[in-house]
Amino acid sequence: MLITLIRRELLDNLMTFRFTAAVFIMLLLVVANTFVLIRDYERRLTSYNTAVEKHRQELLETKTYSSVDLILDRPPNPLSIFNLGLDKRLGNTLGVYYLYIPSLWDAGKHGTNNTYLNLFSSIDIVFIFEGVLSLLALVFAYDALAGERERGTLRLVLTHSVSRGQILFAKYISAMTCLLIPLLMCFLLVLIMLTTSTSIFLRTDDFLRIGGVIFTSFAYLSLFYLIGMLISAAIRRTSTALMLSMFVWGFLVLVYPNMILTAIETAPQADTETVAHNQIKQIWDEFDRERMQFLANDPVPEDDWDFGLWGKGYSFWGGRDDSPSLLYYNYSGFHFEELLEESEPQVPHAQNYHRFLGLQITNTSDRTWIVRKPALEALYVQPAKMERMLLKFSPVGLYDSATEAWTGTDLNGLQDFFTAGQRYHQAIVDFFHDKKVFESRQWFTGDKRGVDWNILPQFSFQRSDISINAKRAFPDLFLLLMINLVLFAAIFLVFVKSEV
Amino acid sequence: MIWHITKRELYDNLNSLRFALTTVLLLGLMLTNAVSHLREHPKRIQKYNEAVIKSLDGLASHTDDSLYMLAQQGPGMLYKKPSPLYFCAEGGEHLLPDVVEGGSPFGYSDNLRGVWKLKYPDANINMKRVGPDVTKADWAFVIGYVLSLIALLFTFDAVSSERESGTLRLMLANSVPRHTVLIGKFLGALISVSIPFTLAVLLNLVLISTSSVVHLDTEAWGRLGIIFFTAFLYTCLFLALGLLISTRVQRSAVSLVILLLVWVTFVVFMPSTLASIASEFSPSISSEPRWKRHNEIQDELWTKYDKWLWTNRTEKETLTAKSEFFTKDAEAEERLNREGLTEKVAQVQYARAITRVSPATLLQHLLESFAGTGFERHLQFVENTQRYARQLREFVADTDKSDPESLHIIGVREGMTKKKILPETVPKFEDTLDFNKDFNTRAMELLLLALFVIVLLSGAYLAFVRAEV
Repeated sequence: MLITLIRRELLDNLMTFRFTAAVFIMLLLVVANTFVLIRDYERRLTSYNTAVEKHRQELLETKTYSSVDLILDRPPNPLSIFNLGLDKRLGNTLGVYYLYIPSLWDAGKHGTNNTYLNLFSSIDIVFIFEGVLSLLALVFAYDALAGERERGTLRLVLTHSVSRGQILFAKYISAMTCLLIPLLMCFLLVLIMLTTSTSIFLRTDDFLRIGGVIFTSFAYLSLFYLIGMLISAAIRRTSTALMLSMFVWGFLVLVYPNMILTAIETAPQADTETVAHNQIKQIWDEFDRERMQFLANDPVPEDDWDFGLWGKGYSFWGGRDDSPSLLYYNYSGFHFEELLEESEPQVPHAQNYHRFLGLQITNTSDRTWIVRKPALEALYVQPAKMERMLLKFSPVGLYDSATEAWTGTDLNGLQDFFTAGQRYHQAIVDFFHDKKVFESRQWFTGDKRGVDWNILPQFSFQRSDISINAKRAFPDLFLLLMINLVLFAAIFLVFVKSEV
Repeated sequence: MIWHITKRELYDNLNSLRFALTTVLLLGLMLTNAVSHLREHPKRIQKYNEAVIKSLDGLASHTDDSLYMLAQQGPGMLYKKPSPLYFCAEGGEHLLPDVVEGGSPFGYSDNLRGVWKLKYPDANINMKRVGPDVTKADWAFVIGYVLSLIALLFTFDAVSSERESGTLRLMLANSVPRHTVLIGKFLGALISVSIPFTLAVLLNLVLISTSSVVHLDTEAWGRLGIIFFTAFLYTCLFLALGLLISTRVQRSAVSLVILLLVWVTFVVFMPSTLASIASEFSPSISSEPRWKRHNEIQDELWTKYDKWLWTNRTEKETLTAKSEFFTKDAEAEERLNREGLTEKVAQVQYARAITRVSPATLLQHLLESFAGTGFERHLQFVENTQRYARQLREFVADTDKSDPESLHIIGVREGMTKKKILPETVPKFEDTLDFNKDFNTRAMELLLLALFVIVLLSGAYLAFVRAEV
């Protein structure tokens, strides 16, 4: 009996105009946007490759350790085509210096492009599904029960020995099958376009991640279908059910996400920034005092930090004071291509000074990080988490963050790169200590023999494992599924108790 | 008779669920909008005032020193004045720079320092914020997205449901011309949509205008009037679209599906998809060739004036050479800066022109312009700063000319007047908005919107006249 019911519903749905229209419009939107998204990805990839090459070249041209510019580039995520997330917005170059511990907030951007074009909002595949898929689900669902009740066919069906649960189940299964067709067709098209593109390379893991996105989309779709069905079960007239469905859609998809973040302010405490900034400044002031003390106590009569070294080169000093990202440090040093003969006796003193300085600076940067890390969390991560949480009261927010987690374009996924950068920073600092780089002659002169950059630890970054993606996506996916279950139970209760 | 039908439609609508839901939704949105504006606008104003005071202080101290210092250091930072009508359209203001730099000339050495030039900062992408991206719930959002959807929900069944229930036949059996029926229905729907919208707007404006933190002057009210009118025009467009589809399609459910798909395509996806396509096909701009040209020009200037630049002699020849070097250098760099900006602006303008196919973008552009925010406004601000820069340079030249003892060599201390200048006479930058200009540039788009409405309405009329009942 169930099979008969399902077959009937399926044929009913497939033959309708709304099904054709739905498939057509979805495919149109998805194809047009995938095309644009792939081109955008290719452009970002080219920019990444040129940046990597450029930074590598610059490194090889560097003569001394102290003037080294180690710059890491973040590759674009090919899955950002599905959900752009933060992949495009956040910085994609990270400088690794011994002076501070790098973080997401110190990242810059490579590629010279027209920043004014960011005025236009960009869309991704998930955004299309968010809008259109939910709308379609509701359009399929609003008359599922109310329509049959109006036409009187529901009464007819119930005269047979069919339980009400079976009817509901048959309706749900058949409608979801119908809705799955455009969904899967869209994903198939996207995949075809992705695989035919020469610049995009997908690994096996990536297909599993896309599978995760598809499953989440399915849960999202089913949720909206069930919302529509609940309205249809509770309300007697189709036109009213339709009206209510549309308002519910407008509220959940359109109004709520934009309204809630306008209404609620998630700014961090006003003085977090200044307090942490002052603390960091104090740490560096202390460092400077110790440095001065060292210079006063050393055997060289003057307190100059250049020790009267002379040659072809330059000395440099400066610092950085960026309050919003709590980045504060200062540095001084010298860089010589060639050193004059009469400066040679001073070299051991300079080496001695740099041995002290290297240790002090790495200690200081570790100490600042202890202050800086929680402050950055409070300044940027906490408000962002709060905003995400508020958005999750709408299924759109849940769907968005679950798919972001799958594709690895959420905050955690991006932090992976910066954590790798921090590990690399530690490796470099350890390398400097182990090989006694700070006290070496190559720290400030490049005359005797240049630096062999190939012995430096290499940076490598792999996107996180699929199991980690799954773990991150799980809470939101679980919530989506739970809401599905609750809705189904509610529909069942309403429908069983309703008069036909 | 029209009025009769309108009244009937109106009563029908007033009792319906959609009317109640619309009222609640619009009131909620407009309330949020007002509250968030009242919370954030004072901060914006304060930030602007502090910045302007600081910049004016700098100008005053240079003026106090000498005309030479003024000619060298320039006006400092020039700030964009935040619009009091920010709540109408945010217009990407968080992304657009709010300043043009005109100061801190480049120092070649302690006694060799160039003169100021205008620099245009890039759009500020906030790479530090890690929160989700959402649209601000401003009027442009409420009208562009929510109100248009509501307009469709009020008209999708206007004709088709009457046809389904057979009342259309009954009505037309009377001696009522068909266009009367159509216009009656249109007016009925228009009035029923505008009642909750007007209520919501009133609530919003009452909250904003009675608070002490936001001051709306007469011009602002005029602008609000036009914004309100534009909103009506936009609503009419979607009402007409709803009527057109409703007459063409037999069943109201089908009519709604078509309307929703049209709405989603034109309002939600068209603007961003077309903009991304347009920007994807525009060539990427790199600042490198401009830097190269800048270096070439500088090299040229250096070889030409090198022998005079490093001396401290004060005879006329050296001073003139120095002055020429400074002015030419500043002119060249300023021209390059301007070219860079123009290139970027051209791309954005192109993308904006293409997206104008969507009525939602038309509305967005109109609202931005009349609210004094957004991209066009930014260009106007840049123009203002350029005009002011000319004004200030002329002032320096004129003041110098009025002193017969001066050598009239601008840009070098020894060549300029040593007289004190009165601080009141120095022109100050004021960022102004020109209502007439805004209106004139936007008249085309208003007309385009009106044209859309007329075309759709006549389409609906033709469809209805020929429709079988």
